[in-house]
Amino acid sequence: MSPTGAAPGRAQSRRTLRRLLSARNVVVAAATALALLLPLFGSNFFVEFVMTRTMILGIAAATIVFLAAYGGMVSLAQYLLAGVAGFMVGNAVVAQDAWSKGLKLGWNPWVAVLFALAVTTAVAFVLGALASRTTGIYFLMITLTYAVIGYYVFGSITPLSGFGGITGIDPPGLFEDHPQRMYLALVVLSVLVYVAFRVLAVTPFGLALQGIRDDPVRMASLGFNVSLHRTLAFTLAGFTAGLAGVFNVWWNGQIDPTSISIGPTLDLLIVAVIGGTLSLEGAWLGAFVFVAANNYLRNLPLVDHIGITEARFNTIVGVLVLLIMILSPDGLAGIIDRIRLGLRRLVQLSRGSGAGPPEAAAGSAP
Amino acid sequence: MNTDAATAASAERSGSLLNLEAVVVAFGGLQALGGVDLEVWKGDRLALLGPNGAGKTTLFNVIAGDIKPTSGRVIIKGIDCTELPARFRPRLGVARTYQKTRLFRGLTVEDNLYLAQTGRSGRHLALLRSGVDAEFRERARAMAETVWLADVVGVTAGDLSHGQQRQLEIGMALVTGPEFVMLDEPASGLSRGERERLVQLLLSLDVDITLLLIEHDMDVALRAAQRVMVMNEGETVASGTPDEIRVDPLVHAIYLGSEAGLRGADP
Repeated sequence: MSPTGAAPGRAQSRRTLRRLLSARNVVVAAATALALLLPLFGSNFFVEFVMTRTMILGIAAATIVFLAAYGGMVSLAQYLLAGVAGFMVGNAVVAQDAWSKGLKLGWNPWVAVLFALAVTTAVAFVLGALASRTTGIYFLMITLTYAVIGYYVFGSITPLSGFGGITGIDPPGLFEDHPQRMYLALVVLSVLVYVAFRVLAVTPFGLALQGIRDDPVRMASLGFNVSLHRTLAFTLAGFTAGLAGVFNVWWNGQIDPTSISIGPTLDLLIVAVIGGTLSLEGAWLGAFVFVAANNYLRNLPLVDHIGITEARFNTIVGVLVLLIMILSPDGLAGIIDRIRLGLRRLVQLSRGSGAGPPEAAAGSAP
Repeated sequence: MNTDAATAASAERSGSLLNLEAVVVAFGGLQALGGVDLEVWKGDRLALLGPNGAGKTTLFNVIAGDIKPTSGRVIIKGIDCTELPARFRPRLGVARTYQKTRLFRGLTVEDNLYLAQTGRSGRHLALLRSGVDAEFRERARAMAETVWLADVVGVTAGDLSHGQQRQLEIGMALVTGPEFVMLDEPASGLSRGERERLVQLLLSLDVDITLLLIEHDMDVALRAAQRVMVMNEGETVASGTPDEIRVDPLVHAIYLGSEAGLRGADP
């Protein structure tokens, strides 16, 4: 009779396994494997420039998606928070005798990272606490205001931003002169961030956050502290954006107020919109499309004749975003979803089972 | 402090769960509630009747803490809650539903019922799942069965039919294990059979549970309640047992129109 005792456990683990082996997870795992193997066959430029920047922007955009998809908050302050981390690293690591600006504290780079993340998290908590009472367009406007204020704060407190910015920021020895290592570290960090956000969604905290997204009034009447919850989610997203900011400043080697101005702030939102603001995978997908367009558009026939300026690039990206929005409000991830559902229906039709899956209609509901 | 303690002690003695003292709510120039007094005892089954605009839902919102009264006091279990925000009510054992369904439309039925319990427990900031969660999950599934949603526990709340959403709305209030349940028009939009089931559910509630009910359906209200209060234009105009209210001419005049009669209430 021993098998009967073991059977439920085995059935459950088989069910868990089947859930983990969903099409979505398999595709993500395959993409991760490809990203990890990329240095073996990709060109140096592609790995160390295009893909490294993709990962940095992907992590930063994932924080927008996390707040939007689970919390119903579209934040424009994520690039600012990444910038805060970058400025803190810059001020902390540059040595006193270096030919640079800023506070030049000359700290150990890892201590600088901890310091930068602590400051960024604290800033995110304060900004989040102020914005947490608003939703929708008002939340968007307040976070946009944060971005603008942040730009002017760093622009006018010159001891912190060193007039024209802080240069000569070296990454720790681990990554110095090893851009491929930095790329691999970013892939690993991306996976960690992605998994953490996905797991968070099914924790009590994550479920409560989605409850607040759906109906804050009901949540309050059930005893939840809605604004504290929003604040903590914003703080977590800020911490994660700070991680992206640390790598960004290591990779760039410099940071100045212009690099956190309204332009890059909107670029990050565009990355999230291209990928789809309701899908975490979309953040990295959108980042890749954006960075690839930024680097390879100039090589296209015709374009290589007239050249590409920033204004022309923005025009093209604008048209691209417009096209995606018309085709699918959920961005590229939404388009992929639709193709997947369409294929499944096609397979079912060819098998002659007739009716499509009921969840197909449910999935596309707003 | 002293007076609060005294009130609490007297409330304990009389078994009084809720006391409203001269509650006035004014929205600008419009007076929605004009000095309402109300006492609800433990185990009471009280129905609030009245035409649209009588102030029933406003009164509900005042008790639930969604609206602060312009003047007057709200005392729940002897504690002055007039200034306390809505999120402190569940700790006093108060649960409510809404006239317009308020569900977590992106989450499953089970997650809705699960979340309803975590708010009161203080578990909602937890990043890890624990044994308490298994208990909550179990109770969520049991409640799904109670409100006839057992076969749709995995369905997203936004995809449920209207009737099912109303059932979930009630389930979310009951699953918190409340002492005081406030239902705002639970029968609205339900079919005749669903209304009958609802009445049976309300009658089957534990006798210790106090029930405050707003209901337009006279049949549901008069069968589920032991006591009825009729409101009109922000004031109490009549109160009594369902039998007394059935024959009250004033109630006929203002609530049903003088000729309408008591539809559904006749044997």
